[in-house]
Amino acid sequence: MLELKGLSKHFGGVKAVDGVDLRVRKGEIVGLIGPNGSGKSTTVNLVCGVYPATAGRIMFEGADITRLAPHKRVRGGLARTFQNIRLFQRLTVWENLWVARNTAGQGEPRRLFGNWVGGQRAARASVEELLEFAGLHSKRDMVTGALAFGEQRRLEFARALAAEPRLLLLDEPAAGMNLEEIGDLRHRIVDLRRRGLAVLLIEHVMELVMGVSDRIAVLNFGRKIAEGSPAEIQAHPDVQAAYLGDAEV
Amino acid sequence: MQAGIIDFLQSLADGVLFGTTYAIIGIGFTLIFGVMHKLNLSFAAASIGGAYLSLALLAVWRAPSLVLLATSAAGGAALGVLVFLSCFRFIRADNALAPLMATVGMLLLIDEAIAHLTAGVPLRYPALFPDVMLDVGPMMVRSDLLFVFAIGCVATSLLMWLLYRTRVGIATRAVAQRPVAAALCGIGIGRVNATTFALAGALGGVAGALTGTAVGVLSPLLTLPITVKGLIVTVIGGLGSIPGAILAGLLVGGFENIIQHFRGVSERDLHVMLLLFAFLVFRPGGLFAPPAGRD
Repeated sequence: MLELKGLSKHFGGVKAVDGVDLRVRKGEIVGLIGPNGSGKSTTVNLVCGVYPATAGRIMFEGADITRLAPHKRVRGGLARTFQNIRLFQRLTVWENLWVARNTAGQGEPRRLFGNWVGGQRAARASVEELLEFAGLHSKRDMVTGALAFGEQRRLEFARALAAEPRLLLLDEPAAGMNLEEIGDLRHRIVDLRRRGLAVLLIEHVMELVMGVSDRIAVLNFGRKIAEGSPAEIQAHPDVQAAYLGDAEV
Repeated sequence: MQAGIIDFLQSLADGVLFGTTYAIIGIGFTLIFGVMHKLNLSFAAASIGGAYLSLALLAVWRAPSLVLLATSAAGGAALGVLVFLSCFRFIRADNALAPLMATVGMLLLIDEAIAHLTAGVPLRYPALFPDVMLDVGPMMVRSDLLFVFAIGCVATSLLMWLLYRTRVGIATRAVAQRPVAAALCGIGIGRVNATTFALAGALGGVAGALTGTAVGVLSPLLTLPITVKGLIVTVIGGLGSIPGAILAGLLVGGFENIIQHFRGVSERDLHVMLLLFAFLVFRPGGLFAPPAGRD
């Protein structure tokens, strides 16, 4: 479904991502881990188009999307959440979902004033479902800046789903969450797989990554140093060395 | 003494009513700043340009007032999109100065184009509204200024409705707040930006026509003072705040007319500049500074 081939991003002389190959298949949860500064977030930013790639290719469902504009990737079925929450703070909960929903699933650029009636009715119904999913029905008209942290996380998750993606990139979704919230998040991620979505999960909370991932890839200094099942990764000497900062790697 | 108070109120009323045009120009600056985080200095020139286009229509057809207004709005919108394409679309957004200078270039270009096409002669702009004096208590109100005010209110309400009730408006506000996140929600930023320039331009075209009808003539010499007034209004209102621009537009309109009445026209702009200076010193964020921070 998603395939990265020799993907690289250099900032000046710094090789933030250096020749990474990675595959995510349909209905699969792939964890992407690595120490701070190992290139995980840069990889996500390359996949969704925030940065242009220096070298390499990004294939999504058989099409080369390396040079595609970010919003077209989203419309093509590839959505993400952010490590540091990036909701539209001065829009209401409902509006946040509504803008994202309106770009969903069309593949083609939408006409701005197009299909008012039919399209809007369907979109409104699915925003209701998303409000339900995020558990924010009662706060739909609140400005999102006023929501509690956990609620903002749930809303951002729902907003990413509003675009009806087939692949979801989750960039450290558990950051700042307590154990109970992480448990809830875990259920949500597993539920996505049941619905047939593929997930690329970047995460520092090992219990979560190890618990839900089908496969895990490890980055260090922009390179992929290991890939395998959670059990294999936990036993991998290079991975332990990378996390413990062993100089002998 | 009694007469002095009435004079004061009279100038205040006239000025506030005419201030509608400043408010609209200020909204235009603010709206574009909102989505681009860049000033578009050609905005007032494009607004006057839109009004000139409605004069061109008038040359071939004695169109009714509403059609003239609509033509001016359409002309302003077209010029707005042209400015977007020439000054913003293909110039790197992270270069702070390049788009700004490009808009200065467009300001001069529009000015020059008008000056050449009209041989530099001011053209009479028709009265769009019946010109009667209404007695309001001891004061007289110019009915055409009342119309200017009413049209300004209608145009602004329409804009607010678009921004807060339609999906293109909500998308515009999303882009203004977080452009990167908006793109990653599937919003085509280029298209939203172009739409914003068209909307702001249409509003500007209305303001251009209203200025023409209130002043009685159109001249390329109008663009610079209106640009300056628009910027002053934008700064006093708070860059990026629409309610601020409205309030500041009416404030500046009323203030300058009072000064003009009591101190003469030659001192008018001096005092407006002093007002701006006072704001920059004591309240640099303007009346309503919108919260900062975007990605």
